[in-house]
Amino acid sequence: MRKRPIATSDPHIQALARIVGEQAILYRKEDLMAYDCDGFTVHRHLPKAVVFPNSTEQVAAVVKYCHDHDLPFLARGAGTGLSGGAIPLNGEVVISLTRMKRLLHVDLENRRAVVEPGFVNLKLTNSVAHRGYYYAPDPSSQYCCTIGGNVAENAGGAHCLKYGVTTNHILGLEVVLPNGEVIEIGANGVPDPPGYDLLGLLTGSEGTLGIVTKITVRLLKNPEAKQTVLAYFDEVEDASQTVSDIISAGIVPAALEMMDQTAIEAVEAAAFPVGHPKDIAALLLIEVDGISAGIDEQIDDILTICRRHHVREVKVAQSEEERARWWANRKTGFGAMGAISPDYLVQDGVIPRSRLPEVLNEIANISRKYGLRIANIFHAGDGNLHPLVLFDASKPGETERALAAGSECLKACAAVGGSITGEHGVGIEKKEEMRFIFTDEEILAQTAIRDVFNPKNLLNAGKLFPTPGRCVETKTPSTVK
Amino acid sequence: MMSTMTNERADSPACATASLGNYRFHDLPDPSKWADCVHCGMCLESCPTYEQTGQEQHSPRGRVHLMKSVGEGKLELTPDLLDPIFTCLDCRACTTACPADVDVGGLIEQVRGQLRQAVPLTGWKAFVSDLFLKGVFPHPSRLDWLGRLLKWYQKSGLQTVARKTGLLKVMPDHLAEMEAILPEVGTPVRKKYRHQPLIKAKGETKRTVAILTGCVMDVMFSDINEATIRVLTRNGNDVVIVPNQTCCGALHVHAGDRETGRKLAKQNIEAFQDVDHVIVNAAGCGCMLKEYPELFRHDPEWHEKAEQFAAKVEDVSKFLHDTGFKPPKAELNVRLTYHDACHLAHGQGIRQEPRALIESIPGMEMVAMPNADRCCGSAGIYNITHPDMAQAVLESKMQHVPQEVELISMGNPGCMLQMALGVKKYGRSQKIVHTVQLLDWAYQKEEGKDVRI
Repeated sequence: MRKRPIATSDPHIQALARIVGEQAILYRKEDLMAYDCDGFTVHRHLPKAVVFPNSTEQVAAVVKYCHDHDLPFLARGAGTGLSGGAIPLNGEVVISLTRMKRLLHVDLENRRAVVEPGFVNLKLTNSVAHRGYYYAPDPSSQYCCTIGGNVAENAGGAHCLKYGVTTNHILGLEVVLPNGEVIEIGANGVPDPPGYDLLGLLTGSEGTLGIVTKITVRLLKNPEAKQTVLAYFDEVEDASQTVSDIISAGIVPAALEMMDQTAIEAVEAAAFPVGHPKDIAALLLIEVDGISAGIDEQIDDILTICRRHHVREVKVAQSEEERARWWANRKTGFGAMGAISPDYLVQDGVIPRSRLPEVLNEIANISRKYGLRIANIFHAGDGNLHPLVLFDASKPGETERALAAGSECLKACAAVGGSITGEHGVGIEKKEEMRFIFTDEEILAQTAIRDVFNPKNLLNAGKLFPTPGRCVETKTPSTVK
Repeated sequence: MMSTMTNERADSPACATASLGNYRFHDLPDPSKWADCVHCGMCLESCPTYEQTGQEQHSPRGRVHLMKSVGEGKLELTPDLLDPIFTCLDCRACTTACPADVDVGGLIEQVRGQLRQAVPLTGWKAFVSDLFLKGVFPHPSRLDWLGRLLKWYQKSGLQTVARKTGLLKVMPDHLAEMEAILPEVGTPVRKKYRHQPLIKAKGETKRTVAILTGCVMDVMFSDINEATIRVLTRNGNDVVIVPNQTCCGALHVHAGDRETGRKLAKQNIEAFQDVDHVIVNAAGCGCMLKEYPELFRHDPEWHEKAEQFAAKVEDVSKFLHDTGFKPPKAELNVRLTYHDACHLAHGQGIRQEPRALIESIPGMEMVAMPNADRCCGSAGIYNITHPDMAQAVLESKMQHVPQEVELISMGNPGCMLQMALGVKKYGRSQKIVHTVQLLDWAYQKEEGKDVRI
């Protein structure tokens, strides 16, 4: 962190430096290279610059400057997104919100908190845990992802089965619109204001409608009791039938996760092994929570269902340490792929739970067809499947094969009446696959909404929607015409 | 691509010219280290420099990405790369956080070696670096001389005069602050025991161990070396001080001078050839000794010797814990907290053992420090080379030190100096101690000696 004066003749860099300060802008190639992708590494492009505003005013001023000078721009949090939403494909000015990371207000009486967009997800729970509260959406990257990014992607997580995804926990937003204007939606955190549900529209808009600079979120009271079960199965069919039966028995687990054999191989080879047997076909991680009364009965019911479906071994966590170890093993699952493969890309399909064995079979076929291993980590409770395609980008042609295999996995999900994304967003990765579930007209209707907010299409252009077919006109950022 | 670009084979002779992308100097970085990184970002929040800057070129994942980009020929080894690569504290917290076990610290050190050759230090920085890293640390006699000079400065009254007259104000602030917390210099154990190669165990001898006396440790903290000897002999260990040992080379390797690092490593490997256990009381040094094989990746003969040597090295806390130390009987009634030195917790995976030693002492009340394994900003000589960042990291660390404790215990001399600075700077009152000192005091009290903490 050397203090270095601005040494460039680029007038835009100089102007942006005047807004955020000389120490809050990056423009040298050696620094920018760290921003050429996010958690999705297949596509890369250097940004024009990265700025680090520390207030809404600075964000608005940067946005206004970009708007007035036709510079493409986008917002970035921790850059852990898995669909490429923060990749500066058009040489954008990246507006990094990592310095806007304050917890502004906690209001336990009304069970809400106000945070800046760069505030890390897990820190919110850590800040209120001692008073018996928590923030429910728990993406696996919650150790480091930001709540601003969660809003952009409408992030989910293991416990969203019972408690809902990010959009169900957002009460208000302060937003810088793509022309630099600042608006507030759901001021004072009053839920469900009359008129169109703009909070719902903004949440999950993948950074294409505006930049969130302040977020009011809902806090929940810690459940009185919590129990976690780990079950090992010799057949995938048995594991998925167990999932179906648990749900149809009327139990709503807080989380219901599945990993297949390849996924287990990775997490066991990585930093947080649990000691799962390597020859099982699938494991389930099941958590129930709520008031103490009735929890034990639910666990008994779950154990009975597991046994009915030939579970090889099933156990209940005996301590908080054991539970934490099981979860660390599961939540670092994606990164763990590094232990068995140089690169991976993760898909995010949603399927009806009952079609799981069939879809997993199809994924196994795709794996064979492309000669690439595919691991499966699955939010089984809500049918959100994460096939992880393992590949080596340094081998010619393998990246392309991996992308094609990933796309076919999504096609298989769409074919059984599912969707191409549950929680990771469309970004760059799945924009063409949007055609699996939407017609051109449906896509055009959505881009028409985007154009109301983002008429110049300078903000995060080229994401979320496919490049339109010939009969449809669209805007591209002015600099890439 | 990786395999075609690597022209150097593991068994190639040390003089072979080879390159890997834009890495062109001998001792190429190991591409398998960055191949494990899938860019997931789980390391970000573990990194003190990312915490301070929010910038990814100052994060583990960002640094790995830059280092990989050089290996793939997308970036050159330019002066603009110095800032991301040398601002790393080498605290290894990312290694703990990483789901895929990426050895970011080892990679940083390898790339610093390349970068220092591509962009050599110049001017006064080169002079100061050469003077200390090559001219002083590797030479025990010169260190002794420096220690004597420091002792004379402290005892002659010159220190008092310097402080009163404001003479210290001519120094940069961070150096003047360091001057204020320098411990009183004693007699190095190397010197004290130079005519006594073996210090007998008390009672029955169970084994013979050698101790690494260290360079700075023996000059600045000879009392801790003394305490280490007393605690080891008290637990049935004959202690030898092998004469030809030298500085571990960690500071050199951190600074990218791997050649001097190798020279020192060879000297130590030979010096400790005839002993079975090398006991270390400085976390940074212990970690370096255990990582000697990394320095000889391209030299099979020395690599093997380094492997054998590394297997003999153990931190004093883990060694005592694993060999069944005697829990002290006397009470030390103090309330304290424990700081995990980075190179003990993240570097060597030693967390529980020192705590177990402390908690075995009757009367000790341990208060947990939140984020105990967060770097304090000492990081070898980082607090001298990067004073602003070290200062920011220290401030963040001090916020987590519990108010109500009397002592802060730890296992690394660099941390001890830095935390002492923190205590002084932020108006705190805690005394800084090494974990073995606590055991030593408890044993002394058990023997009826008057112990004042």
